[in-house]
Amino acid sequence: MLMRFDLPRTYDSLLDDVMRWDVRPTTRSFSPAVDVAEQENEMVVRMELPGVKKEDVKIVFENDVLTISGERKPYEIPDDAKVLLNEMRVRQFSRSIEFGPDIDAARISAGMDNGILRVILPKAEAARPRTIEVK
Amino acid sequence: MEDGKQDALMRRPEDALQRVPVPPERIVTPVADLFETGDAFIMKLDMPGTAKECIHLSIESDRLAIRASVAVPHPASAHVLFSEIGHKKYLREFNLGDGIDRDKIDALYEDGVLTILLPKTEALRPRTIPIR
Repeated sequence: MLMRFDLPRTYDSLLDDVMRWDVRPTTRSFSPAVDVAEQENEMVVRMELPGVKKEDVKIVFENDVLTISGERKPYEIPDDAKVLLNEMRVRQFSRSIEFGPDIDAARISAGMDNGILRVILPKAEAARPRTIEVK
Repeated sequence: MEDGKQDALMRRPEDALQRVPVPPERIVTPVADLFETGDAFIMKLDMPGTAKECIHLSIESDRLAIRASVAVPHPASAHVLFSEIGHKKYLREFNLGDGIDRDKIDALYEDGVLTILLPKTEALRPRTIPIR
């Protein structure tokens, strides 16, 4: 499944600011579901990673691209167990999301809670909305 | 920013593509693993984004129902650009045979995975008969 949004190039510069993005799964791993939301001062990415330990997640931000990858390790089952149903995907995952240039990369933070990874990407000062007072 | 009269030039391109509101809450069937040991059946369900207070297990006429709600993912002021997780509820049901000891069913929620332990009744457990 390939999901891609090609945004018109004519919107370059000013309008092409916070987020020119592109969500692309890689072939040998699965692509977990994500939500992306823009808030006033930051972009928030949430990814479903049930059964994944935080030490098995790698987050890289490079050239405006956020890449979240890792591995869901199999849980332990007793030796004598007989598998009756196996729907879970236990393997590697990877997903990349391209942002515009206005992310303050040094301040990106992430946390994991109840199987949801949450990455906060603060906008650079210049990209935040500002109210200008009339003097 | 939500003013419809906003100058079109100031609108960003992704706005044009993402005019769809956040989809309404949907009901999702969580994926499950099930295995059997000598003493019990063990079920695991992927249910990310809920919390143990929001999960309800019920048994009614041989049917085990697993329900859970997921908190609204973003504040109302957020501009949602991509919504694959969205707003949802989990529901899955299984039929229980006679061999399950209903009073001893136990469940644990950890890292977004619900594990349900369904112990077998005495009659269903494997037995070794010693030879005299």
